[in-house]
Amino acid sequence: MDPPLINESSFSAANLSAYSLAEIWPFGAEPGGGLGLRMGNLGQTPVGFGDSSANRDGSAEESTVTEQSGGGDGKKRKEVSSEDESSKMVSTSSANDLIESNGKRMKLSGSRDENEGSRAEVEASSKPGNKSTEESTKPSEPPKQDYIHVRARRGQATDSHSLAERARREKISERMKILQDLVPGCNKVIGKALVLDEIINYIQSLQHQVEFLSMKLEAVNSRMGMNPAIEGFPPKDLGVQPFDASGMVFGSQAEKEYAQSSHPEWLHMQVGGTFDRAI
Amino acid sequence: MTPKGVSLNPNSRKTKFARRFLCALSQMRNPRPVSSSNDEEVRKRSHKIKIAAYLSMARTVGSRRAWSRALLFKLRTRARRHNMMIGRRSLCLKKKRVIKNDPQGELSQTNKLRHLVPGGKTMDMCSLLEETAHFVTCLATQVKVMQTIADHFDK
Repeated sequence: MDPPLINESSFSAANLSAYSLAEIWPFGAEPGGGLGLRMGNLGQTPVGFGDSSANRDGSAEESTVTEQSGGGDGKKRKEVSSEDESSKMVSTSSANDLIESNGKRMKLSGSRDENEGSRAEVEASSKPGNKSTEESTKPSEPPKQDYIHVRARRGQATDSHSLAERARREKISERMKILQDLVPGCNKVIGKALVLDEIINYIQSLQHQVEFLSMKLEAVNSRMGMNPAIEGFPPKDLGVQPFDASGMVFGSQAEKEYAQSSHPEWLHMQVGGTFDRAI
Repeated sequence: MTPKGVSLNPNSRKTKFARRFLCALSQMRNPRPVSSSNDEEVRKRSHKIKIAAYLSMARTVGSRRAWSRALLFKLRTRARRHNMMIGRRSLCLKKKRVIKNDPQGELSQTNKLRHLVPGGKTMDMCSLLEETAHFVTCLATQVKVMQTIADHFDK
């Protein structure tokens, strides 16, 4: 297949009438036959040359982004920009990018990123003369890749290990947030170590409470075992219990279940939110 | 426990735990109505109640969670060992795990957390945090239920 052609008329049309590129390209680029050859979401991206000096390298300016699955390294892409130090690579996944950079001379160039399969995107090859090359590494939506959910922002490493590590870190911080919501008083704490400290303290305090309560229950239990007279709780006692209405009530089946234990009354009690953490 | 009381309301875990725990308490009470007020006896019995509380919590959660699996396994093996020990000698060896106080750091915190959460020693960080979250909610529920029962009995 041929590389898409940008003919001279499209350039002049862009310069003269100063249309926005989104308006231009249906007229300029489509007759050139360029669109039909492009793939993916980049198939709609127009190429604008605001500067007429683009004609200087006009024979070489245009190359579409090759998609990873297409394997179009040799098929579609024409890697030309390595000589041109002033050319900019802009990865264009939306028309806004193009409109913004309308005045600039730009070039759509694809270079395949071999390290990473998750880019169907232009990776700007760094040129010595042009350090300010805009490297936008927004991943588009490739259909079948490993790390779809990971986005590499600018300046972040993109190899698979880094991506996996980043995903792991994000997962950990997400869990951390859940834990912070669970542990009271933990929301104000900043810093992972301090949050972990809070969580540990909370668990320990809960375990101490369990210990304390089991001692208490032991006393009560043995008292009840020794003295069966106080086993049954009078129903009026249950009425004045300041339990939460949101607490659960033992149903009738629970009562039936414990009918053999000779004191079904106290099974009616509600186990509710009368929970004081600061014992 | 019979599953007929299982309800699908959000409080079901609380309900189930309370039911199990009360059952365990009454079982503990019934066979030995007379008890001495010996200090050692009291300590032993409260320990038993604590074990019963943890056991009912873990049984309520079931084997869906790693921490409850680990806890069940631990308690089961401990009970088995305890029974064996009783045959030979009454005194149990107590292994006390000493957590060293490292200089403050995330690593030592994580290790502490691993010691606290049952089965946490073999987990990776992600699942450790997840299990911790679940464990904390369950523990809070347990404390809540025990507190309520104790309050009620204390009247």
